Amino acid sequence: MIEVQGVRAGYGDGPDILNGINLVADAGKIVTILGPNGCGKSTLLKCIAGFVRPRAGDVRMSGTAVTNLKAHEKVRSHGVGFVPQTDNVFSSMSVTENIMLGARFVARAEREQRFEALLTQYPALAAKRNRKASALSGGERQLLSLARALIAKPRILLLDEPSAGLSPRMMHEVFEAISEIRAREGICILMVEQNAFEALHISDTAYVLSLGDVAMQGRASDLLADPAMRSLYLGGDAPH
Amino acid sequence: MFQFVVDVALRACDLMLIAVGMSAVYSLMKFPNIALAQYAAMGAFLAIVLQRAGLPLVPSSIVAVLIVGVVAVLLNRVLFERMLAIGSSTAMIGSLAVSMVISAIFLVIIGPSPARFNLEITRPLRVLGARITEHQVLSLGITAAAISVFAILLFKTDLGRCMRATATNNLLADATGIDTRKTKTAVVAISACLAALGGIIITMKGEVNIQTGLDLLLPVFSAAILGGLGNPLGAVGGAIVIAMAETLITNVNFGPILGQDLVFLPAAYATAGSFVILVLTLLWRPRGLFISEVKRV
Repeated sequence: MIEVQGVRAGYGDGPDILNGINLVADAGKIVTILGPNGCGKSTLLKCIAGFVRPRAGDVRMSGTAVTNLKAHEKVRSHGVGFVPQTDNVFSSMSVTENIMLGARFVARAEREQRFEALLTQYPALAAKRNRKASALSGGERQLLSLARALIAKPRILLLDEPSAGLSPRMMHEVFEAISEIRAREGICILMVEQNAFEALHISDTAYVLSLGDVAMQGRASDLLADPAMRSLYLGGDAPH
Repeated sequence: MFQFVVDVALRACDLMLIAVGMSAVYSLMKFPNIALAQYAAMGAFLAIVLQRAGLPLVPSSIVAVLIVGVVAVLLNRVLFERMLAIGSSTAMIGSLAVSMVISAIFLVIIGPSPARFNLEITRPLRVLGARITEHQVLSLGITAAAISVFAILLFKTDLGRCMRATATNNLLADATGIDTRKTKTAVVAISACLAALGGIIITMKGEVNIQTGLDLLLPVFSAAILGGLGNPLGAVGGAIVIAMAETLITNVNFGPILGQDLVFLPAAYATAGSFVILVLTLLWRPRGLFISEVKRV
């Protein structure tokens, strides 16, 4: 579904942050990008989403080259849903307005139906549908951001550190929601995460970046069991 | 007393549409476009020229408003977008320079003499003891209608929702499939059209000259800041407060205080009222009288 081939990227006149990354993410799978701060995880996600234009290499979605498309064009033409790490809601707008903004490319007849289905799925949002998004907790904002992306029936969902700043309980709820989305929608989910252990538990495959290169890659279960991975990113022995 | 209300409403009318336009542009572009005050004068001059060419007032006003909208979009694409890429202060200074250039162009083409519409002079109406002309009533009606249409656009249409989303969070708007550049272009055009209409309304009640744009700048800027830059409907309230202050300064009889029958401040002091309010707002309510993060457009 997503193919990244030899992508090099950076900001302004600065050095390359990504040094020729290759990555594949298939439909119906959760693929996680892991790595320490500054390794280029978010830059890679922004390249795929269309916020950063690669200096070299290709990004393809469902076989079509989308390297130079802008973010809003990818949303419309390739069904990309993007959930940023911070500032992930329109704070001055209501919960309903936030979700419905994502439904602009959905047929009118279907909008209400999908909206109600999402509120049933996320009761925390249903109770606050007329509140301003600024009044929501961090976890509720993350769910709202997911709902806004999901109402558009995305074929690809890009998540930038969905657990950032959340309490352990809320983090667990968000990862559960992501897992349910894969099971229900069967879409391709590409996620950047710092919480390697939790992320690997719901992922199918993972890529570990280091200084702009892919240092490790493979099935999530294999990486969870990998001694090098454990000592570098999982804080020693992983709990079972 | 009712005359005071009428005078405040008429002055607020002069400032409101331009202040709303300035605030709307700021909310999306993140710089106060000073040239908007000149777009008001440009609209008035163009409408006068078209009327002199034989078009009736309404069509000439509509054509003038549309031309100003197109000019604003072109200036935005050619100049302001590039300046904004450098920084918002660069764009603001650039808009001041553009404003001066437009003023110089008026001087060359139209000359220093004031220009007026060719309108029939009518006897003022008496409403609750206050005097108001038909053209003034018309200007109040047009302003109220324009603000209502703008509010409906902002809160009830897809474009309005895209405008508010882009103003709140540009990156997220892009990630939601909104073409933020197109949305900003639409706001630039709408704001310029509002300013041009504002200029035409001012001229319906009097005249326009090459200084009109610069004279409007301070009170309009004060109204926009008072309403909270980036909160277009707050600018409506800001314009009313500025109009009230200006009208008070020029309408209050200081005679009894000074032991004389009649002592009024000259009309030129009205601008000082805007200045004082601007300074006080910047000191105590730098984000405006009505604004909170939640209300920001």
